[in-house]
Amino acid sequence: MRRAPGSPRHWPRHAIMIAVSFLMLIPFYWVIKTSLTGENIYAWPPRILPVDPHLFNYVDVWYLIPFGRYLLNSTIVTAMAIAGSLLFNVAAGYALTKHFPGRRWIVVLLLSCMLIPFQATIIPAYLITSWLGVLDTWLGVALPLLSTIICIFIFKASFEAVPPSLIDAARVDGLSEWRIVTRILLPLSKSAIATNVILTFIWSWNSFLWPLITIRSPEMQTLPLGLARFLSVMEDTTGALFAFVVLVLIPGLAIFLMAQKEFIRGLTSGATKG
Amino acid sequence: MTSKTTWFQRKRTRELALVVCFLLPSLAIFFLYRILPLGWNAWLSVHAWSPLKAAQFIGLEHYEEMLLDDDVFWQALANTLIFIACSPLAIAAALGIALLVNSDLRGAAVYRTIVFLSYPLMTVAVGIIWRWLYDERGGFFNYVLRSTGVIDQPMKFLQSFDWALPCVILADFWQVLGFYMIILLTGLQSIPQHLYEAARVDGVPARARFFRITLPLLKPSIFLCIVVGILNSFTSFDLVYVMTNGGPGHATELLITYIYKAGFGQTRFDYAAALTVVQFLLLVVLTVIANKLSGGNAGSLERQ
Repeated sequence: MRRAPGSPRHWPRHAIMIAVSFLMLIPFYWVIKTSLTGENIYAWPPRILPVDPHLFNYVDVWYLIPFGRYLLNSTIVTAMAIAGSLLFNVAAGYALTKHFPGRRWIVVLLLSCMLIPFQATIIPAYLITSWLGVLDTWLGVALPLLSTIICIFIFKASFEAVPPSLIDAARVDGLSEWRIVTRILLPLSKSAIATNVILTFIWSWNSFLWPLITIRSPEMQTLPLGLARFLSVMEDTTGALFAFVVLVLIPGLAIFLMAQKEFIRGLTSGATKG
Repeated sequence: MTSKTTWFQRKRTRELALVVCFLLPSLAIFFLYRILPLGWNAWLSVHAWSPLKAAQFIGLEHYEEMLLDDDVFWQALANTLIFIACSPLAIAAALGIALLVNSDLRGAAVYRTIVFLSYPLMTVAVGIIWRWLYDERGGFFNYVLRSTGVIDQPMKFLQSFDWALPCVILADFWQVLGFYMIILLTGLQSIPQHLYEAARVDGVPARARFFRITLPLLKPSIFLCIVVGILNSFTSFDLVYVMTNGGPGHATELLITYIYKAGFGQTRFDYAAALTVVQFLLLVVLTVIANKLSGGNAGSLERQ
């Protein structure tokens, strides 16, 4: 089964994978090409290479829609979700490393909560958010993401891997519980932190259904809502839509490519737990 | 002795207080956004209620309406089931890719990254990209099909009653394929290598090694993929909303898009809650069936 790299039997596998990669990359190429095309994007036949490529569409995005406002809203909501989830998940993860009555039940409760997809809760979640008085606010959009079960368990596992003697030594030195978390445990849990930040970023940045329900006023819309609104107003008649798409995709792609390992680790541990 | 006991008790109480303080925010969020909604959905589904009207118990009337009079519900249910039933195709493709890149193939990491690249993307953007790929004039598919002479007239894929659903499913495959691949790769890497070595020493052919070793030991991962595929019929709301909004007619309506329309389009929160209950039960039943079929060892990964 194992052969030396470069042996003749490898090339059919390379051929298949190159073909698969090519197919997977076509949509990326097609949208980037369209966003760079200066001429009428409906011209038939569509060119494979953009004729006279320029960045006009990317400038146009800023004039056609309040792109800056959407970006601001998305950034604030995502920052709130990341900050809140880090704080609450670290706290809950640390609490679960302690032995206390009812710990088993809480773990079981959390694991079963994980099986409830958020999409199956939208009607009451909307009513609850409205009752809390935070509809149409940044907080209301970020609220359901402020704590994530997967990340609680990732932190718990990471904290449990720290030698107990280290924690006991710190306690003897008179460090408070919160100091123990911030000074001893967190510096040793960098990869858990990275996983939490990345997963929350992706979930919050890409989230569409929840903001669609909670956001009413146009100036509170996040980037995905802006995209959908742009599509419904302009249809796909302008290359600016595709420039918008490319701009929105860049942050997620950049973060994924920079921290692929943490990202995949978070997703697979989430999947195996859920 | 007594002072030691009180010190110990005080330490216990303080620790308990800490645990409560640390757990409370997370538990509050899960209570508000997971547990309470589940019960509230069930309660709403047996009441006649709207934001301006007091709730009135009506028993199973919503369910009766849904099952007996609502054609859109049946269409949405059928589409959701088709959506789920197609996911094994993507899982099989992902398994093939995972087997190819799980070897000492040079550049396997690059292939993995490329296949996975579409998964973390914003689904709304993916919907817009695919809408454009299917476009009758500027789209990739019409370009390829027309220039190779397969069709003469431009094809309106997403406006066609026959093609709209397969087209949305294909777009979904493109996005989720990489995730299936990653799950299966994780499973493949956990298979002990010495099993293959022993089989090779015994002269077991490659095909038998796959069916006797790889596939049985991959069962938990395949089960996970199937669960992801089932959940996908919930999360594909974004894709359907942008690509077709359930149309043409209700040809691409999923239960989740219908719930959204009933709840927030027609403000029938009670009826939408009843639809949600049905969808949630469907999810639970399908997951249990998948678990049974995969040998009931789905929990084995959890315990690791």
